[in-house]
Amino acid sequence: MSFGLLLPAGLAALFALLLPLVLHLTRRTEQQTAMFAALRWLQVRQRPRQRIRLEEWLLLALRLLLLAALALLLAQPVLHGAPGNQAWVVVAPGIDRADARAALTAPQAEWRWLATGFPTLEHEPPSVPQPLGSLLRELDATLPGDAALTVVVPARIHGLDGERVVLRRKVEWHVLETEASPTPVAPPAPAALAVRHASADDPALRFLRAAGAAWETAAAGSDERRVRVEIAAAPEPLEPDVRWLVWLVPGELPPGIRAWIEAGGTALLGAATESPGPGAGTVTWRNADGEALVTGRALGNGRVLQLTRELAPATLPELLDPEFPDRLRTLFDPPPRPNSAFAVTQVPREGGLELSPTPRPLHPWLALLVATLFMLERWLATSPRRGRPA
Amino acid sequence: MTAGIPELVPAAVRARLRDLRLLARRPSGSPGFGAHPSRSRGAGLEFAQYRAYQQGDDPRQVDWKLHARSDRYYVREAERDSPLEVWLLIDATASMAQGDASRPGWSRLDAARGIAACVIELALRQGDRFGLVTIGGDGAAMVPAAGGARQRNRCLLHLHRLQAAGTWPASDRLRAVGERIGAGSLALVLSDCFDEACVALAGQLSAARREVLTVQILTTEERDFPFRGGYRFTDPETGEELLGDGASARAEFLERFAAARRALAERLAGQGIRHAEYFLDQPLDAPLQRLFGKASGDAGPERT
Repeated sequence: MSFGLLLPAGLAALFALLLPLVLHLTRRTEQQTAMFAALRWLQVRQRPRQRIRLEEWLLLALRLLLLAALALLLAQPVLHGAPGNQAWVVVAPGIDRADARAALTAPQAEWRWLATGFPTLEHEPPSVPQPLGSLLRELDATLPGDAALTVVVPARIHGLDGERVVLRRKVEWHVLETEASPTPVAPPAPAALAVRHASADDPALRFLRAAGAAWETAAAGSDERRVRVEIAAAPEPLEPDVRWLVWLVPGELPPGIRAWIEAGGTALLGAATESPGPGAGTVTWRNADGEALVTGRALGNGRVLQLTRELAPATLPELLDPEFPDRLRTLFDPPPRPNSAFAVTQVPREGGLELSPTPRPLHPWLALLVATLFMLERWLATSPRRGRPA
Repeated sequence: MTAGIPELVPAAVRARLRDLRLLARRPSGSPGFGAHPSRSRGAGLEFAQYRAYQQGDDPRQVDWKLHARSDRYYVREAERDSPLEVWLLIDATASMAQGDASRPGWSRLDAARGIAACVIELALRQGDRFGLVTIGGDGAAMVPAAGGARQRNRCLLHLHRLQAAGTWPASDRLRAVGERIGAGSLALVLSDCFDEACVALAGQLSAARREVLTVQILTTEERDFPFRGGYRFTDPETGEELLGDGASARAEFLERFAAARRALAERLAGQGIRHAEYFLDQPLDAPLQRLFGKASGDAGPERT
């Protein structure tokens, strides 16, 4: 366990210690005047000496201490190597508390849910899906290096990400066979793609209509999401179930459409449409030569996709590809990333970066000390025992 | 007393004044009837002397029994008690404004006012005549001697208006004081006695057959010298300033000041002046007890 400062320059505030000292000493040295009629019997051999005399030394010490504590607070002290190697048992949500406790005998251990904030097992299990991989990495980074970690997971775990979990400690990976209760996946709600154009003889409309027909055919035989394509001129208002929009009107985006995007809609803008707001965004579709065809970025709660070239076979030969409906669909409705796996296959690997453990901040205690010192100082400075005000 | 004017004499002091009497050593010369022995003779209870009959004496005053024994006419005379004339001389120079840091708002002049009010109460009770002379930077101000409650109110009003300022005036401006204070009257000087001219005036009055008493009013700071650290000492009258370290000057000041007070007391005693010191933390009647109380020993005049 060692002591460290995150901002050592904050200690420069220690120069403020000179302030009460100087004030105290100058107040002492100033001359007091006294009316004295018997002056002729008074003989002064000695000039007043500039003695360093400390009166009210308790108050002075308290004030110095207060300033020193404030300077230390500015320097953000931390405590490295937090004490204790308390063993932790984290239980993934989806496992019954009693089952987990029955399966493991770890009386000294700290039992927590593997969920955001790591609540204790006495709390209700979290209801929203948890990013298990990310949580495991976080826990590994925050726990002291030699603390044992046991993870209790169900046979099938969700919330993983593309990176395999690599931890710097050896984890006891405990897979509990629970009766599989697959959460029933509701069929995706049907959606609608609206196309708004400036002129009815836009060549793009033909391809969009064809893409819609292709989706219709694909959705007929499976449980895929059904998407209705509706094409109209620009002034036509959007129906309430429309979630996706293709906007082929050149010029500035009307405020109504912009508000609709910011409320959560996704819009593909034609090349002639002005992009709302600055920034190009990330490329979401490249052609075979690697040139950007569509860039996407967030706008409010929604998303804006901007075509870089006109939606016509001459400028965009990919329109003629048989994959075009799928590409278009992917732009609006990206497929979910795989995040589930069998727990036995996902035992965290050992290794990875040797992270220095997160130091414990000492702010709260120091703030408490400062508050206490301040109250003491006020009490001492205003107590009636003192004859003169400070 | 008027409602707007605060009481100068605290109740406790007023209670202790009951045992006090203003007494002069010498017989009083004032005309009229009073409570003090006087040089004037007349009809009365206390036998004084036999005197040979003179033409014009009342035949009733002739002692006929003595005439029968000696065959001469003698007139029996008794002592007559006369009132005393009490003068209060109050120093109102700037040095009288000095007080103590430990008790702000209580200066030498306040103490002088209080002592003067005590003496006025005593004189009023004894039926004596009293007058007031205040000597400040503007010269001497006077309330002519008289008796009675109205005279007391006049004097107290004058005391309330009194402000300490200036230095001791030149002696020619004080000539009227000596003339107004009649021979045989009692003059009480309330001063810090730091002005040589003030002590000299007391000596002159005493030499001119006035019974002079002095009360030297001193602050506790002059007695204890409690100053520590650097101080700028200012003389209120001359404006002279002295910068000094309190603690180092203390021993020498106390020694020199005590010597000066001793010298003053000896000088006044040599001139036949009764002298008392009063410090600002003492009760107001303390100097009067010392001058007129039973403990003062020489207070009672020998009766002839």
